[in-house]
Amino acid sequence: MAVFRWGQSWDPFQDLEREVDRLLQGVNLSLHGVRFSRRFPQVNLLELDDAYVLTAEIPGVDPKALEVTTASGYLTIKGTRVPPEEAREDSFRRQERFHGPWQRKIQLPDRINEEGMRADYTAGVLRVTLPKAPSATPRQIRVNE
Amino acid sequence: MSEPQDQTPTESHMLIPATTTPVPETAPEPPAEPRLLFNPPIDIYETPDGLVLYADLPGVTAEGLDLQVQDSRLTLFGRVQQRDPVARQILHQEYQVGDFLRSFILSDEVDHDRIQAKLTNGVLRVELPRAPRAKPRRIEVSPG
Repeated sequence: MAVFRWGQSWDPFQDLEREVDRLLQGVNLSLHGVRFSRRFPQVNLLELDDAYVLTAEIPGVDPKALEVTTASGYLTIKGTRVPPEEAREDSFRRQERFHGPWQRKIQLPDRINEEGMRADYTAGVLRVTLPKAPSATPRQIRVNE
Repeated sequence: MSEPQDQTPTESHMLIPATTTPVPETAPEPPAEPRLLFNPPIDIYETPDGLVLYADLPGVTAEGLDLQVQDSRLTLFGRVQQRDPVARQILHQEYQVGDFLRSFILSDEVDHDRIQAKLTNGVLRVELPRAPRAKPRRIEVSPG
């Protein structure tokens, strides 16, 4: 027979729950350390023959609300991940996912062709393709006397 | 490694994240190449109707998701579909691509038949409605 009944306060169990959570977090940290307490979102930067590709794991954002910009050799991605409206702060039993505004700024390794830049977002993964600028040949600068 | 949370659920918990997860039987055959497996981050919150579970599964689409309830255990297995292009060089790496696996112990408070799930932009949302409370049943005592 269930001792617990819905509608009763969770309070008697909260301390226990918190303690269990703390223990679980410890277990998770030792097993999957990289998946917790990390920057959001996590990014990878790949170099292909003719382009650089930045990928970022940003599950659960509206692609329209994703900002991808380049300026002065930096690529900036930013957005906000909002918790569901129905979820009140005190109704969370467990919270491991990132919520709130985020921004990442990544220095680009080389000049890129900004006209050819492309970004797509599929299944929570952002992929920005940055074609390399064709002018890879060194330019001689004449020194005036 | 055995964990106390993986034992019989206590009445105070409708949904307990399990710390060990057997790979579901219906999961696709593992491919020849080794794949990484991750424990996805989750949120669980309470609503008037029951519990809602969220899990971050970046790279997983509905075709790659296997969600099942068996023996009071809810198991989610997300297979990442998209692969990164073959890189000439990895200049910077903060994450590795892998599949996701996590399971939960469900108590009787959850109506197992009415569990619903939706996957949007790499986030899984599972609704776990509270089971209707059983009506008190009167047991007739026949005179002996």
